[in-house]
Order: sequence, then structure tokens, then C-alpha cells
Amino acid sequence: MSIILDRVAVRVAVDGRPAPKILLDELSLELVERRIGVIGANGSGKSTLLRLLNGLVAPSSGNVTVAGYDTVRSVRDVRRRVGFVFTDPLSQLVMPTGREDVELSLRRSVRNPRERRALAESALARFGLLALADQSIYELSGGERQLLALAAVLAVDPAVLVLDEPSTLLDLRNRELLRRTIAGLSQQVILSTHDLELARDMDRVLVLDAGKVVFDGAPDDAVAQYRALCTAGLELPAGEQK
Amino acid sequence: MSGHGFLLANYVPGGSPVHRSPLWLKFLLVLACGMASFLIADWAVSACVLVLLCGVFLLSGAGAARLVRAVRPVLPVLAAIGLFQWWQLGGPTAARIVLNVLVCVVAASILTATTPVQELLDGVASLARPFRRFGADPERFALTIAIMLRSIPFVAGAYADVRNSARARGLERNPRALVLPVFITSVAFARQTGEALAARGLGDAEDQGS
Repeated sequence: MSIILDRVAVRVAVDGRPAPKILLDELSLELVERRIGVIGANGSGKSTLLRLLNGLVAPSSGNVTVAGYDTVRSVRDVRRRVGFVFTDPLSQLVMPTGREDVELSLRRSVRNPRERRALAESALARFGLLALADQSIYELSGGERQLLALAAVLAVDPAVLVLDEPSTLLDLRNRELLRRTIAGLSQQVILSTHDLELARDMDRVLVLDAGKVVFDGAPDDAVAQYRALCTAGLELPAGEQK
Repeated sequence: MSGHGFLLANYVPGGSPVHRSPLWLKFLLVLACGMASFLIADWAVSACVLVLLCGVFLLSGAGAARLVRAVRPVLPVLAAIGLFQWWQLGGPTAARIVLNVLVCVVAASILTATTPVQELLDGVASLARPFRRFGADPERFALTIAIMLRSIPFVAGAYADVRNSARARGLERNPRALVLPVFITSVAFARQTGEALAARGLGDAEDQGS
């Protein structure tokens, strides 16, 4: 699916500052690859970029289109096609149990309760979560919650899956599980991450810095560029130096 | 968050006659108990109704622990109301008021403990359907109930966390140290939930013709 950002800028007013803060600065991109990663330091604009793709953030100027649908004017059509997974699954899971949460996702598209229940169960089974379907979301491990959040989003079968730092709260084992799960998805995947291993699994990686794309290309080159960016000018405070 | 373990409306799976009862009957029970709380004038009648409802609850197999969990959060408030009413209107009236509130709480717990949330939401959406002609969206009604069920335990959990951290700093008697963080956490939670729902396309206006 083609996602196009045409001279997109996102600016926010900040109290006490005359000029708005620039979160993203005149980005023009066409995202067509099956696996796209976005890396960059905290505050570089990764989350803002991803939120633009689902219409959670509206551009201050320029426009974003997903399969020809504008993310501001046709936000419902966009959200039918673009699923969004948040960093913290607890921000995303609304219902007390996994089964209920997946069923909630399906409420708009499937009116028949029995059909909805069957579809929810098949979505949970796909991620090995059926046995935990009726357990409280607070009793699940971090990895199980993240998989549940994925299952809830994928239950409605979006064409594009956007994940905002999906592995940040996970331990090594769950991170590995998530990597394999993402690798097996049929959807186009666009994710932001600090996990450079996960970034290397992508077909294309964007490096963001201060709201600008400073590199756009192959994963290994992008990671090298990001490392160089992070270490440039990095010095210990005077008191810490030996 | 410690208080998250407390879920206001958690469904207890089962196949009891109460579970199998139609949703409209359980709705009617809650409605009748709410009405009765205005009509019953004798505390002894209230006590009998409460015992009867507790019996129905236990018959469902949801368990005494679930019943206690449902009632416990309102006990401090009921104790305060009961004492005040006793001082103002005497023992029998105070007992009637407290027992009537407990009747409503137990009736609502029977509904939530024996009905899956999705079935409950379908019921709310059906009830709201006649208001469609006035521009109401039944699915939004249902979603509002779902969010309420999710939010109350969250706020309770936030309060428990804030109280613990206030205690750790010796500020447990400072109302500002308790109320303000809970308020801020709750607002942040509301924003987060709104964003999560929007990202999933929930809460948007209904499809034409659906």
C-alpha cells in the first residue's frame, strides 16, 4: 500500500515561546516497502511521524495520504486500513480481558455476536493467547499483553500495521517473540524502535533527527548512521572524566 | 498499578440458571431494585430483599469472595451515610437507606458477574437503538459504558498508588498530595484511552445505513 507524505510539517505552540516548536519539518516521503523502520533519539519525531499515518496527529501543513485517502479528510477510511499498536499495551487495551478487548475491536465491523466471538477466538488463537482469553489483562505478562494488543489490532485485518516502539517494555525473550511475530505478518509494517536488531529486520530504515529525515536507506547503513549521530559530540561531564 | 487488580465488573464464567437468564430479565432486576429503594419503607423488608439477592448471587456460582469484592468499596461511604442518617433520622431509617443501597449494589453485581461485557454492551446498544431517530449512536452508548467499567477501577488503582507514595513520604494527611496526582493521572488516562479508541476507529460516527 502506498503512503505518501507531501511536505508535511507538524508544529505545536509552546507556552512562553514566541515561535512554535517544530516536531516534524517539511517531510516528503513515499512509503511502499513491506517493512519500514524508523529510528532516532528520543524527541526526534518518530512517534509524531507514525501517528500521522493513522490520523492520530494532523499535519500543520502538507498532507498525508494512505492508498489515496487523506488522513484528515477521510480519517475513518484511513483507520480501517491502518492499525496502530502503542508502546505500552495497557494504554491500548480497553476491556478487562483479552477476549472482550478483541471483540471490542470487531464491534464496528461484525454485528453478529456469535460471529464476533468466533473471529475473536481465531485472532487470539493465532497468537497462542486463547488459553488466556478470559484472564484479566493485568494478570498477563508484558509479552502476552503486547501480543494481545497486536491480536486486537490485527483482528480487523488492516492492510498496514504501525507499531510505536513495540519492544521497548519487553524483556529479551519477549522481544525475540515479537520480532518473529512481526516477521511473519502479511501486512505492510511500519515501526519505530530503539532496538537496532529489530531495525535490521526491515527493508528500509529512516533515521530521524530533530524532526528531519537525515538518512533513508538500507538497515545496516541506517544503523551505522544512527550510531555515528548518537556518539558525535558525546562527552562525559567534566566531573565524571578520569 | 496496585489497584488494577480490582475490576469493577469482571464477568465470572459459568452455566448457572442466573447466567442463562435473559439479559432483559437481569436488567429488569437492577431496575426493580433501584425503584424499590425509593418504595420500601421498612428496613426489615430491605434486609429480606438483600438476603434474597445474596442468595441469587451465590446461586450463580460467582462465589462469596466476588460478592465481598463488589460490596467492600462502598462500605466506608455507607458507614458514613448510615451514621449521619442515624443521628438525623434514627436507627430504622438509617438501616433502611444503607440496606437499600446494598440491594442496588448486589443487584448490579449479579448482572455484571453473570453477563459477558460484550453481551452487556449489545444490550445497551439495543436499548439505545430507539434514540437513533434523535441522532443518537447506540454503539457510542455501549462504548461509553465500556469505558466507564474500565475507568472506575483505574481511578481506584491510581488512588491506591498515590496513597502509598504519599505514605512513603509522610504526606498521607495532606489532601492535596492525594487528590491532585489522582486527578492528573485520571486526565492522562482519559486522553490515552481516547487516543487508543481513535486509533482503532472506535467512537467514530456510525456508518450510513449500518
